[in-house]
Amino acid sequence: MASAELRIIRRRIASVSATRKITRAMELIAASRIVKAQQRVMQSRPYVSSLIEVISNVGRDAGGTGHLLSEVRDVSTVGIVVITSDRGLAGAYNSNLIRMAERAIGHHTLEGRDTRLFVIGKKAQSYLRFRGYRIDQTFLGMTDRPNYGHARAVANLVIESYVSGEVDAVEVFYTDYRSVLYQIPTRVELLPVQPPTDADAPEGRSVSYSYEPSAEEILSRILPRYVEAAIFGFLLESSASEHASRQRAMKAATDNAAELTKVLTRVANQARQAEITTEISEIVGGAEALMASER
Amino acid sequence: MARPFNVDVVSPEGTLWSGDAEFVVARTTEGEIGILAGHEPLMAALSAGPVLIDHDGDQRTTIAVHGGFMQVVENRVTLLTDRARITAGDRAEAAQEALKLAEGDPLEFEE
Repeated sequence: MASAELRIIRRRIASVSATRKITRAMELIAASRIVKAQQRVMQSRPYVSSLIEVISNVGRDAGGTGHLLSEVRDVSTVGIVVITSDRGLAGAYNSNLIRMAERAIGHHTLEGRDTRLFVIGKKAQSYLRFRGYRIDQTFLGMTDRPNYGHARAVANLVIESYVSGEVDAVEVFYTDYRSVLYQIPTRVELLPVQPPTDADAPEGRSVSYSYEPSAEEILSRILPRYVEAAIFGFLLESSASEHASRQRAMKAATDNAAELTKVLTRVANQARQAEITTEISEIVGGAEALMASER
Repeated sequence: MARPFNVDVVSPEGTLWSGDAEFVVARTTEGEIGILAGHEPLMAALSAGPVLIDHDGDQRTTIAVHGGFMQVVENRVTLLTDRARITAGDRAEAAQEALKLAEGDPLEFEE
């Protein structure tokens, strides 16, 4: 019969190894998702860089991108887009980004600017709501596997708020995916669209185009596409970062669980041995007593 | 044989088609336009419709596009489109497909 102590330890070992199996599975899932997410980031890049090339070429040819979306205004209200995940268990992925965004909001408030919050992901939503910020719009279910439609939904809202004058500038906070081991929270000024410089489009050169229909019309069509594509890029980068962070967090959890099982097994063995020793000394003590009474 | 030039069809989901072609037909907002090698620099907004790419002598690839842009610079044609699909059939089928793309929910995208 096992003692109470031994039973409790064995139960803990069983529970820790069950947890280990779960975190291991999550680690493997995240690892496979990273590869896919990375591919999609790579695949989306030619489109964005071509758009930038076109915008800068047209801008140079037509003498500036004089368009509503690139018009610089006095900033009294800033739109802030925060891209986080819907699920946790990804280490410091969400908290790093939210902290950065919150600092920026504080900074704007200090400078006397108003902010509008456009939040992507449940994590930022619940944090900011708990802290008493007013959230203007929340998008959920995007960050696990973002598609272009998601980006367009966000872009439409952002463009609409900018064009209507509700916000005078838009900043995006997302996590830039540098490598599996390195992702950094990043702030980008999305609107007004800054005319790309020559450094952004090394392939750009002075071309005099013929336009169908006209340079202005092309710009007014292409700038919203650019905003969409940029947001799509941010969503993909964030998604890749999320999966990478989750893989790392789950790997740590799996390793910890393995370590804990080892320690617990040792404690259990010790308890078992102590029990056996007690039993033996009881038997020996009993036999001694019997022998003493027979004498 | 016509001189070939470089064509890329790029969407946010990836490069759809890339290679050398001899002749490209696309539908701009102003009407259909055909591109041969040595075309003057052009920047055009596309409307929904079929894009035909003749390449490798007798091959023809048809792509249904839902709007976008076409840039022609120095014998390089770049088609930028947020939604496009390569269709196996002829021009009429591509036109049908483009119409379907255009009528679809603008926020609905495949994975």
